[in-house]
Amino acid sequence: MKRYLLVAAFVVLGAALVAGQGKTIKVFFYSPELTDQYNEMAKEYQAETGNTLDITVNQPDYRTLLAAKFNSGDIPDVFMSSAYSDNVNYQDYVYDLTNEDFVKQLEPTALLGVTVNGHITGYPFLVQSHSFIYNKQVFADAGITTLPRTVGEYDAVARKLQAKGIQPFATGYKEWWVLPQTAWQVLAPIKDSFGGDYANFVDKLNSGALKFKDIKEMSTVFDVLDLIKKYGGPKPMESDFNDQCSLLATGKAGMIHQGNWAEDSILKTNPSAMIGFLPGPVGNSAAKAGIMFDSNQTIRIAKDGANRQAALDWLRWLTTSPYGKAWIPDKIKQMSPIIGAKAPAAQLAQATAGMLKAKVPSYPWYYQRFPAGTEQALGIILQGYCAGQTTREQTLDALDASYTKIMNASK
Amino acid sequence: MRKPRGAPAISLLMAVLALAYIYPLILVAINSLKTFAQIMENVMAFPSQLRWENFANAFTLMRYPNLFLNTLIVTCMGTAGVVLLASLAGFKLSRTKTRISWLIFLLCVAPMMIPFHSFMIALVKVAKTLHLTNSIWGLGVVYWGLGVPLSLFMYHGFAKTVPTELDDCAAIDGARPLRAFFQVTFPLLQPVTVSVIVINAMWMWNDFLLPLLILSGSKKSQTLQLAAYNFFGLYKIEWQNAMAGVLLTVMPAIIFYLILQRHIIKGMVAGAVKG
Amino acid sequence: MTPGRRRARRARWLEFLWMTAPAVIVILLFVEIPFVMSVTYSFTKWNGLNRAVRFIGLANYKELLTNDPSFVSAMIFTLLFAVLTVAAINVFALLLAVILDMKIRGKNVLRAAFYIPNIISLIVIGYVWRFIFSRGFDSLGSLTHLGIFQLSWLGDTHLTFVSVVLVSVWQSIGFYMVIYIAGLQTVPRELVEAAVIDGTRPVSRFFRVTLPLIMPSVTVAVFYSVSNALKTFDVIFSLTFGGPGTATTSIALDIYKTAFSDDRFGYGSAKSVILFLLILVVTVTQLNAFKRREVQA
Repeated sequence: MKRYLLVAAFVVLGAALVAGQGKTIKVFFYSPELTDQYNEMAKEYQAETGNTLDITVNQPDYRTLLAAKFNSGDIPDVFMSSAYSDNVNYQDYVYDLTNEDFVKQLEPTALLGVTVNGHITGYPFLVQSHSFIYNKQVFADAGITTLPRTVGEYDAVARKLQAKGIQPFATGYKEWWVLPQTAWQVLAPIKDSFGGDYANFVDKLNSGALKFKDIKEMSTVFDVLDLIKKYGGPKPMESDFNDQCSLLATGKAGMIHQGNWAEDSILKTNPSAMIGFLPGPVGNSAAKAGIMFDSNQTIRIAKDGANRQAALDWLRWLTTSPYGKAWIPDKIKQMSPIIGAKAPAAQLAQATAGMLKAKVPSYPWYYQRFPAGTEQALGIILQGYCAGQTTREQTLDALDASYTKIMNASK
Repeated sequence: MRKPRGAPAISLLMAVLALAYIYPLILVAINSLKTFAQIMENVMAFPSQLRWENFANAFTLMRYPNLFLNTLIVTCMGTAGVVLLASLAGFKLSRTKTRISWLIFLLCVAPMMIPFHSFMIALVKVAKTLHLTNSIWGLGVVYWGLGVPLSLFMYHGFAKTVPTELDDCAAIDGARPLRAFFQVTFPLLQPVTVSVIVINAMWMWNDFLLPLLILSGSKKSQTLQLAAYNFFGLYKIEWQNAMAGVLLTVMPAIIFYLILQRHIIKGMVAGAVKG
Repeated sequence: MTPGRRRARRARWLEFLWMTAPAVIVILLFVEIPFVMSVTYSFTKWNGLNRAVRFIGLANYKELLTNDPSFVSAMIFTLLFAVLTVAAINVFALLLAVILDMKIRGKNVLRAAFYIPNIISLIVIGYVWRFIFSRGFDSLGSLTHLGIFQLSWLGDTHLTFVSVVLVSVWQSIGFYMVIYIAGLQTVPRELVEAAVIDGTRPVSRFFRVTLPLIMPSVTVAVFYSVSNALKTFDVIFSLTFGGPGTATTSIALDIYKTAFSDDRFGYGSAKSVILFLLILVVTVTQLNAFKRREVQA
């Protein structure tokens, strides 16, 4: 009898030891610029709960790699993606978070992008904004006191900067992704023509009832793209993200079109740079000029991950624990989707907060609703337009043809 | 061999050309000694101060000693396997002048025409089924399949430079075929072997995409290139570390190449026939 | 047939088998079987992610051949690119191999210098050359006031083609130089010296003695360079990403975009099959033509 008790004691002890070892959650993220923050958070989580987060970070080929993993059965418990159209792309693999308690702690506006038919398919990670970023010192030196809002005002500002020998814009046109974020911001008020609902607008595009060449506001989009190129220095098509950040940071350019994620590179180049956001021009209406503000980077839990419950526990911790709540504002220095989270000590985040307070229009990243793959395809077509390869009519036709092709392919 | 006329002039010209040719690498070297801010300001400028700490940082961040070993294992295993398999098969196929031999040869060479991206996802699936993923040994094995086609092609072509009389000599001596091959024929293929080693070792040492696909799940089994790539994000690139990291990964390969270059000995074939 | 001869035949057949089987097995396992799997995807509609894969027969091929202007322009670009690069690479690589095979000082270091671009990762090459073409040329332009440096080498639709060819050739020459150097080692010294004694001039000596003897190298090099040029992806991906617009998009890059950005994996696989067939036709033709000219030692 004593022997059996001893064995039982060992078994219980052994089980307790094993349980205490904690689970290992497989995480696959992008944004390698945040690797340090990811690792620090993982260390903190392990100290608090004993569970380990095994985080792999990769940016080049992230989507390809993720597809390879899913296909070979090597499913990560937690992964990352965009919001909106990616909700549908990954629908076979994501776990529905609708009934989890911690999603109630997230801003409803942030959840909009990941909700499909009432189901919450992902966890909004960062809230970001993009628009024209300007160098305050450069503007001050050039004597520009009122910030531009209309296309005409932007033209005047550009001319003033040019006269002072400063390159008004660093275009970023070499990167295909700068084109959509710049172009679609000009089109942002389009929802007003569709009952205030982007879903309605995109549905009409998807069904073919609406074509880009029918949208008269597209001419303003082209006007803005032309304007940036005209005042974009001697080699506008060669300007890439680094060019944008370095020229703006060193005061050699006055404005770039980018998002708050650029702040880190800008400040690392010139720690004393003072930057802010400008409301993006949408035509002649100053009141409708605004910023693009949304949560697009999304964390998703795999439905068939081996450690799904542990992964959910981690997300709960991220949303409710003191460290978790402060992680994004303090460590990542961007805006958090958690209700009541404090604003980060970052210039662009505070600029955004300031604009929102001043009731400057903030538009969601509605173009992420376009079918998957269109962002790059349409971006490249717009790039071709900027390079002078197509006329406006040809570009519109190309946009329509590409959109239709991709739309048909996804059915 | 006589020295060509005007040899010093040619030397000088080639030296200048070579310098201009590797200017991009010189740029990498210059920038690896600057700070992030300095690089962003002006890529072409020389560093005002030599920031050796970039190398120290890259070295630590990349877990250099570990990953150096990993990459070495993958490269050695992969290269050795390719040399072995390709030389045996390439030589034998070249000597066997039958229809089947030609067809098998085409089968072995066909992969050179297939773009990697078109089958890489299926390859990962196959590798996973064979339990070769997340392991540097498994990666080495996969490299055999990818490296043999070109190397086999080379051995197949160069087999012609080995006189057929030698095959018979070895056979008459009563040596077993494997021994015969490695003791007699293989040494005569040395120039090709050196080239095959160079080509495969350089490629495997510097390869990125295949290790990314096969090893991405494992933290412990990574290669140097994968670690170096972690410095390149979409929105931000840690330039100073990235440039240092690139040099740290490329230098061993360059040194290896320099050492190997000396082993190409001319005229071995002539010697063998005479003797 | 006598039993002895039968045994000998079997022994020869067995030897053939064990010498060639390992190579064949690894090639089948890691390239050809995955490729066949991909080919089966070309008959489906699949986005690379969904569990459900839908069989649609030849619809992808129909769309490809009738309604894909981007594929057509990618094909034109790739063929033009291939012709230029293959010619430039092989001529210069052979030239370099010959020069660096002569007795000149420091040839090992020189050979390494020309080979180095081939071993630097392509992401780095892309970034470095971008710096050179934009900022570097800016500095050179203001220093020398030569108009050539003020042109937009990576921004202008037509010039970008030249830039891409240039960088691609720069990156590849060293590799083919290695192959040609190996070939030159196999040229028996006596034959060359006999020609020297005969009084043949160097250039003529090269074309009549050396070149025929290194035909195996030429065959390998041309075959591989043609196939690589038609598959070209990495250099373009990192230098221009096929831009501006689609001006420098090669077939392989178009396939990559189709499969992984447009999320049309089945359609992308169909394009890969077409690319493979193109390469097959071109290279087998070339292979047959060259093999006939090789000379046995």
